[in-house]
Amino acid sequence: MSLTKMWHWLSMNTLFATLLILAVPLAVSVLLFLHALSTSHPTVVLKTRRRYSPTHLLIVLGSGGHTAEMLSMLRRLPLDPTLYTYRTYVVSSGDGFSASKVVEFEKTLRQKRERKGGLDESGICSEDTPRLEPEQLHRLNENFTDVAIPGSYIVITVPRARRVHQSFWTAPFTTVKCFWACLNILRGVHVEQRSCPKTMIPRYPDLILTNGPATGVCIVLAAKLIRLLRYVSTSLNVWYPAVLSLYEGQAPTPYPLRTVFVESWARVTSLSLSGKILLPFVDRFLVQWPSLRGKRAWRGMKESEFVGTLVE
Amino acid sequence: MADEEQKPTKVCFVTIGATAPFNLLLSNVLNTRFLDSLSLYGYTDLLIQFGNEGRVIFEEYMHKYPFGECGLNISGFDFNRTGLSQEMLSTKGNKDVGRRRAEGMILSHAGSGSILEALRIGIPLVVVPNPALQDNHQQELADELSKQGYAVSSDPTDIASAVRKAESLRSRLQGWPPINSGQDTSQGLGQVMADEMGFID
Repeated sequence: MSLTKMWHWLSMNTLFATLLILAVPLAVSVLLFLHALSTSHPTVVLKTRRRYSPTHLLIVLGSGGHTAEMLSMLRRLPLDPTLYTYRTYVVSSGDGFSASKVVEFEKTLRQKRERKGGLDESGICSEDTPRLEPEQLHRLNENFTDVAIPGSYIVITVPRARRVHQSFWTAPFTTVKCFWACLNILRGVHVEQRSCPKTMIPRYPDLILTNGPATGVCIVLAAKLIRLLRYVSTSLNVWYPAVLSLYEGQAPTPYPLRTVFVESWARVTSLSLSGKILLPFVDRFLVQWPSLRGKRAWRGMKESEFVGTLVE
Repeated sequence: MADEEQKPTKVCFVTIGATAPFNLLLSNVLNTRFLDSLSLYGYTDLLIQFGNEGRVIFEEYMHKYPFGECGLNISGFDFNRTGLSQEMLSTKGNKDVGRRRAEGMILSHAGSGSILEALRIGIPLVVVPNPALQDNHQQELADELSKQGYAVSSDPTDIASAVRKAESLRSRLQGWPPINSGQDTSQGLGQVMADEMGFID
């Protein structure tokens, strides 16, 4: 009897001791992780980048409505290809519609720029598209000579995270596949990126723009992961993990992979599922209707910003 | 002389959508109440994008009424891969030589792509949210647009009276896109992107 009692007492004690021994490093690592998470994702970007220097913008397109809205926003901006010199468009597999719409959109961008830069032979410029200042043009030529060439953008296809009517049992596998493809795109090692002019493109996309397709969720989370790993590896002063380093001889941009989420214009009073998932993760969360202003994931987190109608 | 006396054409374009079936709307479009209403307001043509699932209903109807009803010239197609801008533009009025065309209307499912396309063209628009869709945020969008005077929001079963409402919207139709006011950020998406890029001002 006393033996079992003693055994019981011993085991309780060892259990307690082990827990204590485990708890301390666990707590430390959780604190370190939270610290890394917050400092690797600064809220404000310092103004250090020269305009018209080579930049890389990544735009996520979804099916039908998402694509139409995204291109509508880019037209209304209007997207300036001299500011966002290289553009990566991500579409889901089986979505030829979005891919063809991108090509169409880029064609109009190019035509506009040819007019703007005075590249057409007639030399006639309309009033609303003024010529570039000589200084701007000089910088442009100095930094990035082939802004107007077709190679200044790429359309990459990723597997769908979840097809319509796909079973929820197989969805995790396809989501992982999609996530892996997104990681590769952000690292610039996706199969379809092999032909890219590597010296021209900044290492990582500087900015990611998405408005809510499932692929956008994968891209944003992958970007967060890379930013965290990048921060941890540099702050530990260890060698850059080989998988993360890409284009040698290029200075990494100080704030890579910034993320901007635009809630769909179709969402008037409630956030979409993608929005709800990404609210705590993106750097900027923009909404187009006043009743969605000031939404946040939990107390103390940054709020959604109301920017009015962005589509046209 | 004969041309001037002739009644101008007036087109109503109906889009059911390509992704989700919306048979409830299609069967209400091909209903005498709606067709009567169209003809009452001077419409001559009805063009329908009926989607994959709608083909059966449309062909059944055309079999029953090969020459249409209420003096309307009815035609349809499943969908257009390159987008619907051509079809939407066909509802616009013109003053060309030959037969005159009066400004018509667009009746659309509540998908944002179609709504935006129609708003850009600037034609009276009737938005019909699909009640069968779960998580029905379409209704909210349609109601808000109707409240702000950009479109008419209608129930699938009530589209006959929506024709009259579209006619009254025609005179007070607002320009699109709206000029923004009361935003958190001063210059919208462009400024947010520039901030995140860290461009020197």
